[in-house]
Amino acid sequence: MKKFSVIFLILFLILFTAFIKNSTKRTDDQIFVIKENLRSLNKDFENFKLENDYLSSAEKLLEFQYLYFDDELVKNDIRNINTINIRNNKLEIERFRFINE
Amino acid sequence: MNKKDLRIILENEENDFLYQKSKSNLNITFNRIAFIFFIIFIICIIYSIHLIHLGSRKEKTENLSNFKQTSSILYRADIVDRNQKYLVKTINSIDIGISPTKIIDEKKLLLNLRYIFPNKNYYEVKKRIRKGKFFYFEKKISEENYDKLMQLGDKSIEPIDNLIRIYPQKNLFSHIIGQIDNDNNGISGLEKSLDEDLKNVQKPITLTVDKDIQYLIREELIRFNEIFSTKGSAAILMNVSNGEILSLVSLPDFDPNKREKISDISFINRATKGVYEFGSVFKTFTLAAAFDQKIIEPQTEFADLPKSLNCAGFPIREYDDNIPSNLTAEQILIRSGNIGSVRIGQKLGEEKFKSFLSKIGISEKINFDIEEVGNPIKFNWGKCPLATASFGHGITTTLLQLAKAYSIIVNGGYDINPKLIKNYKENKKGKILDEEVSKKILPILRKIVSTKEGTASLANVNGYEIGGKTGTAQKSMIGGYSNKKINSFISVFPTSKPQFVLAVMLDEPKTNKDYIYHYRDGSNIKYKGTPFNTAGWTTVETVGQIVDKIGPILATKYKEIN
Repeated sequence: MKKFSVIFLILFLILFTAFIKNSTKRTDDQIFVIKENLRSLNKDFENFKLENDYLSSAEKLLEFQYLYFDDELVKNDIRNINTINIRNNKLEIERFRFINE
Repeated sequence: MNKKDLRIILENEENDFLYQKSKSNLNITFNRIAFIFFIIFIICIIYSIHLIHLGSRKEKTENLSNFKQTSSILYRADIVDRNQKYLVKTINSIDIGISPTKIIDEKKLLLNLRYIFPNKNYYEVKKRIRKGKFFYFEKKISEENYDKLMQLGDKSIEPIDNLIRIYPQKNLFSHIIGQIDNDNNGISGLEKSLDEDLKNVQKPITLTVDKDIQYLIREELIRFNEIFSTKGSAAILMNVSNGEILSLVSLPDFDPNKREKISDISFINRATKGVYEFGSVFKTFTLAAAFDQKIIEPQTEFADLPKSLNCAGFPIREYDDNIPSNLTAEQILIRSGNIGSVRIGQKLGEEKFKSFLSKIGISEKINFDIEEVGNPIKFNWGKCPLATASFGHGITTTLLQLAKAYSIIVNGGYDINPKLIKNYKENKKGKILDEEVSKKILPILRKIVSTKEGTASLANVNGYEIGGKTGTAQKSMIGGYSNKKINSFISVFPTSKPQFVLAVMLDEPKTNKDYIYHYRDGSNIKYKGTPFNTAGWTTVETVGQIVDKIGPILATKYKEIN
């Protein structure tokens, strides 16, 4: 009886493994397809990012400034920059400090 | 008796019968179980084979999905700046080759090719086919044309995978990134020094540079190259606390997309490879070494300084004839006194000065992330060389080493190594100088920019507390020195809490009679024309204009460096 139970258990495990393996086959296929799609999307993302990097480069932005904004966009003086802090539910505007005066 | 015998026989027969029956039953049971086991065994074998098949199938899939990425020929990692903006991007492409030996119908093939690529020179193609050797018909073809070619189904047409290396910033990082050859092997810059990593690392490599800051600095350098008609120029912006380089520009530069062979010496990387005499910027080291050895204090007085000295038959003179004879150590650096620096150097002694220069990485070649690093010319020390080295005459180094040395002097004396590759795990190096050195030097460097006596008032941009030291050196030539100059200005800001070192050098600047200077002392005075082609009128103005442009970005975007 003991031998029979062991053999039965082994057979059950083999069959169970085979069954699980068979069912994961479909999941594996799905993972493979998703990975492939992801790779293609990543490729598209990288290309768009490259395009964005090029169009938003300092060179291009200055070119756009001369083309469309004339003198509207100007360099800001560091002394005119302020920082907004929230302390005790109150907004506090302070002078931006880069140097220890 | 007969009856008795008969009974015995019957008993025997009964026993025999029972035994026979029992034996027969056992046989039948055993055969059935064996049969069932046999069937199950077969099923198991089938399932096991199926399992092995499934297992091996998965392995194949993994191999396929990783194949493109692990191939060393078809993979080269991208390079991005500290804000993850592309500096180098790899794009896979397909080249089309033709194997003449596999051509079945030449006329048909050429007709089809003419239909897809009407502008090709088919006389040349025919000639190449007749040679019978494989040749590239078209490189970097579009996906549309690739599909058309594959639809022809001609075995002589062979697609060959290739990669294209794109440098979207064009010239901007040419001296840092370098170039690759046609076999995708790096031949200069990071492409060479990181060749193995670029072929194996799966993620983009992040650099410490900022492309926007690099652009702004390069634009200013180009502008001042034209204004002062220089031969070339270089600039390095470095974080003083960890050696991260935010910008490294050397002009002239080149477009790596063109893949040109560069043999012109004027394209040398002036920031890292060019070895020059930088002149007075060395006076800071003389004074810092004396502070480090506690030989003098900023207020130590040097009385009766002569206007000239004789050293091995050669005179050492002051650049400025109006320089007073009695100066403190601080005033010697502010007024850039040659004789005063010689006196400090003599007090310090050869060994201590030599050891100090070695400690801050000035006198020997340093390790850097690219291989294009200059090796300072060996300096023959002695009594007279000590005197000349004290004010930066006859001793050579690179701009990169100057930036490193100034960073160490102003960051509290911590050793740093300049780096281009971003490493999130900071390697803290030890303290090599006395902390007092920074505290004593920084106010002096600030006074060079903020006072009238200083040589760098044109760089006194409001709000950034710039300090620094100028250097004007004559270029050496065979048998002496020429009138051509190397002008440099090593600036530090803000001096109250140093964060950045900006080192700028101009190679052979000339005066410009039309350039208008705007004095930065609050007087609103404008001055037309460059009176002298010295650092105070050339590189200092360049640094002032650069900080004007990049200052707001550094102050706000890199506030976290605090």
